[in-house]
Amino acid sequence: MLDSIFNIDNGYLEGLVRGFKNGILKQTDYLNLVQCETLDDLKLHLQSTDYGNFLANEASPLQVSVIDDKLRDKLVTEFQHMRNHAVEPLGTFLDYITYGYMIDNIVLLITGALHQRPISELMPKCHPLGTFEQIEAINVASTSSELYNAVLVDTPLADFFGECVSEQDLDELNIEIIRNTLYKAYLESFYSYCKSLGGITAEVMCEILAFEADRRAFIITLNSFGTELTNEDRKKLYPQCGKLYPDGLAALARADDAENVKQVAEFYTEYRALFEGAGNNPGEKTLEDKFFEHEVKLNINAFLHQFHFGVFYAYLKLKEQECRNIVWIAECIAQKHRAKIDNYIPIL
Amino acid sequence: MGSIFRSESMTLCQLFLSSEGSYNCVSEIGEIGLVQFRDLNPDVNAFQRKFVHEVRRCDEMERQLRYLEKEMQKDSVPILDTGENPEAPQPREMVDLEATFEKLENELREVNANAETLKKNALELTELKHVLNITQHFFKEQDSEPNSSITQNLLPAEEGKGSVQLGFVAGVATRERMPMFERMLWRVCRGNVFVRQAEILEPLEDPVTGDQVHKIVFLIFFQGEQLKNKVKKICDGCRATTYPCPETSKERKDMGQGVRGRLDDLNIVLNQTTAHRHRVLAAAAKHLRTWFIKVRKIKAIYHTLNMFNLDVTNKCLIAECWIPYADLGRIQEALRKGTDKSGTSVQPILNRMETSVKPPTFHRTNKFTRGFQTLVDNYGVASYREVNPALYTTTTFPFLFAVMFGDAGHGFIMLLFAGWMVLREKALIASKMSGEIWNIFFGGRYILLLMGLFSIYTGTIYNDIFSKSFNIFGSNWHMGHNATVKNLSFTEALTLDPYYRDEYIGDPYPFGFDPIWQVSINKIAFQNSYKMKISIIIGVVHMLFGVILSVVNQAFFMNTLSFVFEFIPQMIFMLGLFGYLCIMVFHKWIHYGSGPEFSVAYGSSCAPSVLITFIDMVLLKSEEPLPGCNQWMYDGQYTVQVVLLILCVICVPIMLIPKPFVLRSRHNAKMRAQSHLATIHEEEMGETSDAHEEEEEFEFSEVFIEQAIHTIEYVLGTVSHTASYLRLWALSLAHAQLSEVVWNMVMKIGLSQSSNVVGSIMLFLIFAAWACLTVSILILMEGLSAFLHTLRLHWVEFQSKFYKGEGYAFAPLTFKHIISGEEEE
Repeated sequence: MLDSIFNIDNGYLEGLVRGFKNGILKQTDYLNLVQCETLDDLKLHLQSTDYGNFLANEASPLQVSVIDDKLRDKLVTEFQHMRNHAVEPLGTFLDYITYGYMIDNIVLLITGALHQRPISELMPKCHPLGTFEQIEAINVASTSSELYNAVLVDTPLADFFGECVSEQDLDELNIEIIRNTLYKAYLESFYSYCKSLGGITAEVMCEILAFEADRRAFIITLNSFGTELTNEDRKKLYPQCGKLYPDGLAALARADDAENVKQVAEFYTEYRALFEGAGNNPGEKTLEDKFFEHEVKLNINAFLHQFHFGVFYAYLKLKEQECRNIVWIAECIAQKHRAKIDNYIPIL
Repeated sequence: MGSIFRSESMTLCQLFLSSEGSYNCVSEIGEIGLVQFRDLNPDVNAFQRKFVHEVRRCDEMERQLRYLEKEMQKDSVPILDTGENPEAPQPREMVDLEATFEKLENELREVNANAETLKKNALELTELKHVLNITQHFFKEQDSEPNSSITQNLLPAEEGKGSVQLGFVAGVATRERMPMFERMLWRVCRGNVFVRQAEILEPLEDPVTGDQVHKIVFLIFFQGEQLKNKVKKICDGCRATTYPCPETSKERKDMGQGVRGRLDDLNIVLNQTTAHRHRVLAAAAKHLRTWFIKVRKIKAIYHTLNMFNLDVTNKCLIAECWIPYADLGRIQEALRKGTDKSGTSVQPILNRMETSVKPPTFHRTNKFTRGFQTLVDNYGVASYREVNPALYTTTTFPFLFAVMFGDAGHGFIMLLFAGWMVLREKALIASKMSGEIWNIFFGGRYILLLMGLFSIYTGTIYNDIFSKSFNIFGSNWHMGHNATVKNLSFTEALTLDPYYRDEYIGDPYPFGFDPIWQVSINKIAFQNSYKMKISIIIGVVHMLFGVILSVVNQAFFMNTLSFVFEFIPQMIFMLGLFGYLCIMVFHKWIHYGSGPEFSVAYGSSCAPSVLITFIDMVLLKSEEPLPGCNQWMYDGQYTVQVVLLILCVICVPIMLIPKPFVLRSRHNAKMRAQSHLATIHEEEMGETSDAHEEEEEFEFSEVFIEQAIHTIEYVLGTVSHTASYLRLWALSLAHAQLSEVVWNMVMKIGLSQSSNVVGSIMLFLIFAAWACLTVSILILMEGLSAFLHTLRLHWVEFQSKFYKGEGYAFAPLTFKHIISGEEEE
């Protein structure tokens, strides 16, 4: 796409999202937040930021869950405003972002149904960006083929479901496999869609999505140790759009313990750094946090380019990270567990 | 007094308040609204300040009040607004308020919860009623065919098995979900179910959101237990509610009656609940406004207290504030009142402080000057104590507007509208009309009033009333001796030539334009010449006035340097070029004319073009005169012009060069003096270096470049600004032409209708069209454009001559906006 005509359709939204991005909390805000004594202090400080009066109508004492909900509501409102104003191909791009949440919601509901929890209790826990019409009827399905035929066939996720239709009953492992297969198909599809958009969008998004794919591959591998998932099955779950593909994924498929995984990461400069600094001891950052930090860096970088869609994705992810940070700090304050309050991921 | 000429003189004060009395003192100060507090703890977080707890309690109370207000709006209970101004309650009364609000909120929430469950029940019963009605209807259709029932197998019963009964589920779903619901039923049950549906005609109320929703009753027929489970699950998934529905018609009828009875009972209870809720709200609505004001006042007071410093002993609070010097007495009075109220014996202390910080700009305005002050402030708030252009704007603004908007008819309509707003001012303020556009008009009602008045004045000068003229003093033009009815009737319009004295008296018309110009061909040529020249003259006078105002600033700030090297050369430059141009215009008006009494050299054929003469003057050349004409308008013109030009050229380096050098030498002298001082008092080194920091950095190149920019701006500006005033002529011409077009194209058609009933109706309609066009285009649109051009002439052409506009506005702590109900932020 020509940069010069980008603004005709997307200029408003890009300006908007960059404006929103400027409202993301700065390091000084975090420094103030961690000094808060109570959640009401937190609320008072958030009032002086771009969050404004979003908690003004909540009765004291505040609950962390209320803060979480309100943070999410605000983000969702912003996203939906952008989605409503988007024209093609940005519309499809934004829809693609929501598919990830749909997958999470489906898995959440099926797992809940397995544990005999009523849907009405689970619905509030679903991410509002990932809801679709048929979602509440999900417990009709008891096998994955039923899930596909009855519920998902009309949703955009139908395309990703091709590989995991089977007559097996749904159980914990199965659901995890479904989630990861769906995610793999989703990531690959999103990746190729961004590629097809071309230009800076492809450049920026492929970088981010490749990292996302590799992160999933690492985490699947690490989590599969000690479960009944065979190496062969595991290989099928790796998204093949990352930098690990194909050699790294093949090596990961053969890995038997965490040390092997680390050896695979050694071959890739950016991942080596992440694995080297990670650890579970106090004072060290967990691998998960390291991944988050790297993700934040990639997302921030997306804002260095202009005229592309990556900023929308990056903004959403950054804002999610910010919500996680605020909730983390709020939890630490609420539980009077201040030792770990600094373990948020700063967004620079 | 004098505040309209320049802003009030302000003084920085230190205020010591005892911690018991501080609340009441600040409350009293807020009522006067003349004190701006400085934040003494800018580095302290919002939640670490002293009174954060109280602020938070206010926030909580405000939330409860907002909740009450929302509920009142939902029930459309009118909120009583008496317009009274309750005092900020004492801190100890806060507890009572809190208790009241808490009680109200809880009561309301309880009532709401009850109402919601009742409504939910009612909804369910209504739905059930509809389900029963509609199923009854379905089955009746079937029963009318003998020997068949819808629940009966369609296939003939197999031997020995008996007929297979079909099961069915009845329920209600929202209309939007039906297509998805049906599709899913089809997919999951593979087409083995039969669905009948019918819409419930009246929309039902959703108990949670209160929205009206359309719903559909459905009946699903299926065979076997497994399908039944699946259907039930799908019903759950699609938020369809299923209702038990008896098999036989009689049972259904009985059940229907039972449901109806219960529904009636429920409705009675529901009505009582709503009535109770209404009573609670109505009682609260009487006080809501005062509560809001009270809580907001408390909050404002604590916010202010948070800006204060606490002294070491915790006994008193220290505040710093800006106070208008003239109001010192009133503020001390207020402080005394506050202390009396709080009952402490410790008197507050108000100390004046010396400071080098720039004070805020405070103009005391009344309802008349406020609009004009806003126009000026929108460009930039005046620097502290510089000349305030708002005062002069009050006359020049409507006048320049009227020059462009010169039509007495349009001006009169504007005057009527503005007059209505001014006369009904109090009622209109009380009615609290909102809306951005209305606020703009209402805020500028006095500007509009004057604009209307001045437009009537210029309109009568132009003799232009809805593009027509009044003939008050008769005309100075007559039929010539050789004019006959015949040769006049051939032409619709005349060319007026003042040369012939049998057609023209030769005296000027008593007031304004002669109405005869309305029908002449050379009307435009005549008016253009007049309006163009008058615009230049107005412009030069306006700008000269601006330059003169800069003297007032220089005199006030004792700036002789600027007076000598800026004002004097500026004045000479402007007068030498454009002042001279104006003089030439007057000279031409006086000495040249058309008629037998003027000699050829002063007649119309020889009259020089002032503009060409002016251009020649700058280019130092001269035109060859036409035969019989003089080359110069007066004796010695060439010499005068050359001298003026040389003076103006000399003025440019005078404006540019000396001032920065003088500033530099002054600065150097000061530095020398200081270093000298420092060597003498070496032990006091610390203090002098402190003083150093407050001194402004002097960078010669910067000062010089700034001066160069000023000079270039002024020199070029003089030329371009003068040309800019030609917009007065252009817009006035455009306005007159446009209103003439509207008259000729619309109203004229109406007036030329035949004089029967049809014609009068047509005229009636055409007048309406003309009136609409006049108001919307000629008054609103043209008025807006003339307004904006006037604004530009003031901001750019006038104010650039003297106005800095680098100050910041005085923002005192005041409860006024709390009372008027505006939001703080």
